[in-house]
Amino acid sequence: MLNLLYWELFKTFAKWRTYIGFIAVGVLIPFILWIMWIEGGDFIKYQLRSLQSEFLITGNLFNGWAIAQIIMNGLWVHVPALIALVAGDQLSGEATAGTFRLTLIRPVSRARFLNAKYLATLLYTAALIVVIAAMSVGLGLWIFGSGDLIAIDREGIVILSEADLPMHFLFAFTLAMWSMFTVASLAFFISALVENAIGPIIITMTVIAVCYIITFLPVASVEGIKPWLFTTHMNVWQQALRDPYDWSAIIDSVLVLGAYDLAFWGTTMLLFVRKDILS
Amino acid sequence: MTPDIILRTTHLGKKYRDRWASQEIDLEVRRGDVFGLLGPNGAGKSTTIRMILSLIRPTAGRVELFGRDLHREREKALQKVAGIVEKPDFYLYLSAFRNMQIAGSLTLGRTPESRKVMDTLALVGLAERALDRVKTYSHGMKQRLGIAQALLTDPEFILLDEPTNGLDPQGMKEVRELVRTLSVERGITILLSSHLLNEVEHVATRMAIINKSRMVVQGEVQELLKASANRVLFKLSPPKKSFSLLSAMRTVKDPSLTEEGIIANVEQKHIPAAVAALVKAGVRVHGVESRHSLEEYFLNITAENGEQ
Repeated sequence: MLNLLYWELFKTFAKWRTYIGFIAVGVLIPFILWIMWIEGGDFIKYQLRSLQSEFLITGNLFNGWAIAQIIMNGLWVHVPALIALVAGDQLSGEATAGTFRLTLIRPVSRARFLNAKYLATLLYTAALIVVIAAMSVGLGLWIFGSGDLIAIDREGIVILSEADLPMHFLFAFTLAMWSMFTVASLAFFISALVENAIGPIIITMTVIAVCYIITFLPVASVEGIKPWLFTTHMNVWQQALRDPYDWSAIIDSVLVLGAYDLAFWGTTMLLFVRKDILS
Repeated sequence: MTPDIILRTTHLGKKYRDRWASQEIDLEVRRGDVFGLLGPNGAGKSTTIRMILSLIRPTAGRVELFGRDLHREREKALQKVAGIVEKPDFYLYLSAFRNMQIAGSLTLGRTPESRKVMDTLALVGLAERALDRVKTYSHGMKQRLGIAQALLTDPEFILLDEPTNGLDPQGMKEVRELVRTLSVERGITILLSSHLLNEVEHVATRMAIINKSRMVVQGEVQELLKASANRVLFKLSPPKKSFSLLSAMRTVKDPSLTEEGIIANVEQKHIPAAVAALVKAGVRVHGVESRHSLEEYFLNITAENGEQ
């Protein structure tokens, strides 16, 4: 299995398209940081303007942690497309190129072959999130220094102390990785259904967009299905920037996303092991 | 199944909705055979090969490779098998060397040794281009690389689906020579499919003919050729008068008027008398040729099968 995984990773990282995500992140994050540097904290002040009238705020709130949070909020819509770019090509790319005729006549089970591909897809996803984490937090702290973080969301304001923030962000990126695994699993599943490179990306992003619309639709008739949509749980990472953690919400989200992963992987497996290779 | 039977298919078939792409295929390939799977385009050869290599799930029947059921013991059954289906396709963005490593690792369960990879590439004349990306290769080079990846894991049975498709005459000749070399010098059993009759006639020891999804006949090539040994082409003029005369001769069987001339079954010993009778009747004889070839046999048998 390790040998299979090694070669799947080799193939994945030998393709130009794999690096598009890393290049996009590598360009976007420094660009955002540069904009923040020029703005000189106006953005943070604007966000905190209502608080400043009620509270006396001291210390450096315009710090690397705050920047990292802003970057996460901003990039989270676009990262699924970067993941779909690679995950959606894993099976459809081989079908298009005709290389299943090279690989699937070999004495290796289709299930193991598929698992190796799926693991390689998850590892790529993990690598992309690690790079986003390293660049946003690492560069943010290096340029803007450290400090406390004021996290504001629909449920209120939380002030996280500087000492606790590394663990909060580690947890946040782990949860973000978990939610992006669901995007990768969806794209991987669609990749088994079609035999062209662009289809899985478009279909994945369409599915995510439709689910997001339903998630944020203020209509009573869809309230019942919202808790079961994976898009409802995609921002689970924000739960890690709270104190104390709402473990019930976190566990719910992790389980729902995990169930989607399992369903996408299982359906892909069923389709793939029975698939006639006609290309 | 005796160990000498490398491949046996029993009532093998594949149905797509209401159409059989291949049905009732009962092949038997023995150790050392160069087995030709012959048939017109669309007859079901590729579907049969894809089922043997587990790319397609059969609707009916079974496949045994080296005595092992392909469905139940897929990994063991395919351990000593290699193949090229239709045309060899590769990861074009990788070098030939990496493609070989990937293909080899899927059979061996570990990455093959670099030296073995290079030796195999040298065998097909690609050692100097081993580190070039496959997308820079010509069609002929990809064909050779396909053969190299098939040979890398020392298989005992190789399936080649239309191996000379798209090659120039020189390339076709090289592939035929390679097939002979693999069979004679390495003792590899080979099954090759083709719609080119002379290809099978020149390299195969045993063969089967598939037509309209069904297997029509199977046997030793020489035995099958004997069945058409008495076919004779008469090039005569005027054709219609000649046809009437030949049809009236008791020693001439099943004459048919074709664009080339009149083809009939005549025993060798009766040919001089038939020619003498034609000349005496004022027919001009331009030539008498034996049609002792697989092509005649193939055309006859597919025509008969088509009429059914």
